[in-house]
Amino acid sequence: MKIDAVKTSEQIKKKLHDSGDLKSRNVQFFDTQICILYFAPITDNELLNNTLLYPLINFSDEIKGKDVVEVLRDKVLANQEVTLFSDLQSAIDKLLAGNTLILVDKADKIIGCDMEKITVRAVAEPPTSVVIKGPREGFTESLKFNLALIRKRVKSDDFVVKMLEIGEMTKTQVAVVYFDSIADKKVLNEILKRLQSIKIDGVLDSHFLVAYLQRNKKSLFKQVGDTEKPDILVGKMLEGRVGIIVDGSPIVLTLPFILLEDLQNSDDYYSQPIRVTFVRTLRLVGVILAVLLPGVYIALELYHYKILPTEFLITIMNSTQGIPFSPFIEILFIILLFEILYEANIRMPQYFGMAMSIVGALILGETAVNAGLVSPPAVMIVALSGITFYIIPGQASQFSILRLIGVIIGASLGIYGILLFCVFILSYLCNFDSYKSAYLAPTAPYIQDDQKDSYMRKTIDEMKKRPKSIANNKQNEIRR
Amino acid sequence: MKINYRQLSIMVFMSFIALKFLALPSLLYVESKNMSMLVALALMLIDGIYVFVLLDLMKKSGEKNIYEFMKSCLGTVITKLVLILLILKYALVAGNISKGLEFFVVENLYTEFNWFVFVLPLMILVGFMVYKGIRNIARVGEMVCWAIVIGLIYIALKALSGIDILSFLPFFKDGFKPLVDSAWIHLSWFGSATFMFMLFGFVDFRSEKKTEMIKYIIFAILIVQLLYFVFYGLFEVTCPTHNYCISDISQFSSTYSAIDELSWLVVSMWIVAQAVQLGLYGYCMAQAIKYLFDIKGNILSIIIVVVYLLAWSFIGENTIRMEEIFFTPFASIVTFLAQYILPVVLQIAYTIKNRKKKGGEKVKEVDYEREKNRDKEEVKVNI
Repeated sequence: MKIDAVKTSEQIKKKLHDSGDLKSRNVQFFDTQICILYFAPITDNELLNNTLLYPLINFSDEIKGKDVVEVLRDKVLANQEVTLFSDLQSAIDKLLAGNTLILVDKADKIIGCDMEKITVRAVAEPPTSVVIKGPREGFTESLKFNLALIRKRVKSDDFVVKMLEIGEMTKTQVAVVYFDSIADKKVLNEILKRLQSIKIDGVLDSHFLVAYLQRNKKSLFKQVGDTEKPDILVGKMLEGRVGIIVDGSPIVLTLPFILLEDLQNSDDYYSQPIRVTFVRTLRLVGVILAVLLPGVYIALELYHYKILPTEFLITIMNSTQGIPFSPFIEILFIILLFEILYEANIRMPQYFGMAMSIVGALILGETAVNAGLVSPPAVMIVALSGITFYIIPGQASQFSILRLIGVIIGASLGIYGILLFCVFILSYLCNFDSYKSAYLAPTAPYIQDDQKDSYMRKTIDEMKKRPKSIANNKQNEIRR
Repeated sequence: MKINYRQLSIMVFMSFIALKFLALPSLLYVESKNMSMLVALALMLIDGIYVFVLLDLMKKSGEKNIYEFMKSCLGTVITKLVLILLILKYALVAGNISKGLEFFVVENLYTEFNWFVFVLPLMILVGFMVYKGIRNIARVGEMVCWAIVIGLIYIALKALSGIDILSFLPFFKDGFKPLVDSAWIHLSWFGSATFMFMLFGFVDFRSEKKTEMIKYIIFAILIVQLLYFVFYGLFEVTCPTHNYCISDISQFSSTYSAIDELSWLVVSMWIVAQAVQLGLYGYCMAQAIKYLFDIKGNILSIIIVVVYLLAWSFIGENTIRMEEIFFTPFASIVTFLAQYILPVVLQIAYTIKNRKKKGGEKVKEVDYEREKNRDKEEVKVNI
């Protein structure tokens, strides 16, 4: 079927409801009428002028008897990524994705040329994973740019990028990245299957996919890993994980996910192993303090105060004397205050931040203590627990819920209740497998070889084999 | 869902120490006096030997569970009778742990206490663990095992300096008879390997390390002996008046004035260990009920276990000597049959059955050595 360039151009415009940002240009190329269609905001104008319009106007070769489409593809646009479309809808889809359509009169194909304008913010250190040593590059919102950041680090023919399009309306580009010989094929296929079956209007961020990728949708616990740094992503892929990059999101999802991942930090791999072992142990203690400290404090104050050393008990009793609330209400009040301050602090404009801190710490905290509404130990306990949350920021939201449950249990059942709560959580997590990988590995099940990079860390040259905690194809193979 | 050999070894270890630090040391002292440690040592060694007898049977059963294995060796009727015997044994142990935990918590942690409020969360936890299955219990055991061990060693070493070694003399003052009597009376506190029956077909032997199980058994025996040595050395003739070995050694009790700041952490870990053990024996009981009545699914058998444990919480007065009523000669007979006779009978029945079938079909036995070699490179992280 031969194309009437002007008519087809009008047809496309009509189909796109005469969208204001859809531009068209008609050019006479020798004796052939050519119509160029593109969306101005997403097309690189300079590229369009330099690689298409000027060469078209200045093209001097004799084209008589030659196929115009072939001339355009092979000569004029030789440096560009060109696709030929036989059906109108595919061409429109590409136009919407940032391609420029070239409609040649009496041709049987439409030319699509990638002239997308990539607007990216500068590569910067991500705020969620700041490092003292090590690379400071972070992902941006552009998929292409993010892939470039990975390709820069990986020069292997084993590295695979599988492109998907998700979202009925947004048609968001999603890249599934992995090392072909390392990633477990069953895991990979399940991820691809889940992604391909997603029916959703739009994917605005990678977190839109999380609900489709996690197996236990109602669980409180995080089941999909994430990172904002290409070095971390490549490290994870080398262990057998699969990365999912979504266009428009700087956060890359990784699967399978195990709890230990959040205990590790990219800094760990650029620091002394002994220091790392110490820091990781601190993080673990921090997690326990964050979740259990307020609950244990209430339990001790309400049920087991005789356990406390006498001097300590006297100090606490002196501090809590005259407080009108019960320890439970007191702690609950401070926790809620803390959560409100936190929510307000992260959402309010930065220039309010300082004022907010003063209001929160001095006015609310200090005044409440001076007024005798809350006791200093209670404020200290909640503050300590609140700070320790952010030792592992990836799990902070879950831990805050667990802390609240711990407080309620501590107030109603004491230490005994808290112990049962701990066993319950352990028991729950022990059964929580993420894509063939045990959530609490390498502790439960205990995997001897993976202890080299768990709570302790050995030097890179000692970590000769890929981890067995993560499902991968080369578990026993020596890292090359 | 199978467990690996290391997880099995840890479960054996925890089962070996589970009931030993509650009232047992003071009860043993009544008959066997300063030689009570020997009674515990002998019975634990015998239990250790039976672990290997059961391991051998497990390997012979291959992929069959205990019900299928016993049915092929003993026939349906005897199998059902044996299952009743095993349910009794598990019910005794689970009941003892539950009751022990109750008394322990009442006596040591709270001044005012309504056990009904406290037993409900425990039952929810047990129900959950049993529902999630043996792999879940094994993994939790793996997580908490070393914290418990460190705690036990800590309180034993801390109290070591106060021991009067001379109190153990003279040896065998009343001869061997009191020791034998004591062993028989308190037999039901032992028989720690019986839970292994319900793990037939659920253990993956490919990761088996020959010495691992021996190490864990020896370790369990040494820890129990260390704690008993400290207990008897500290309290001497007053041992029978002490209720709980673990809390009395650490002189821990929030209701008394003698308080040690760190001991409550150790005691807390002990409660965790008891909860895990309750989960294990609850699981075994639920499995046995399932096999006996041919119940499809797990819910009904779990409900039976939870209701039994709840009912047990309300039976009897809240006294430490409840165990004395509980552990009658009947309980000793049940343990004797379940732990010491049944494995031997199964071994004999299996051998006879195989001999009869000589030349014909043999009970399929899995060659784990061959499997192990074949899967040398294959690692099962999901165990």
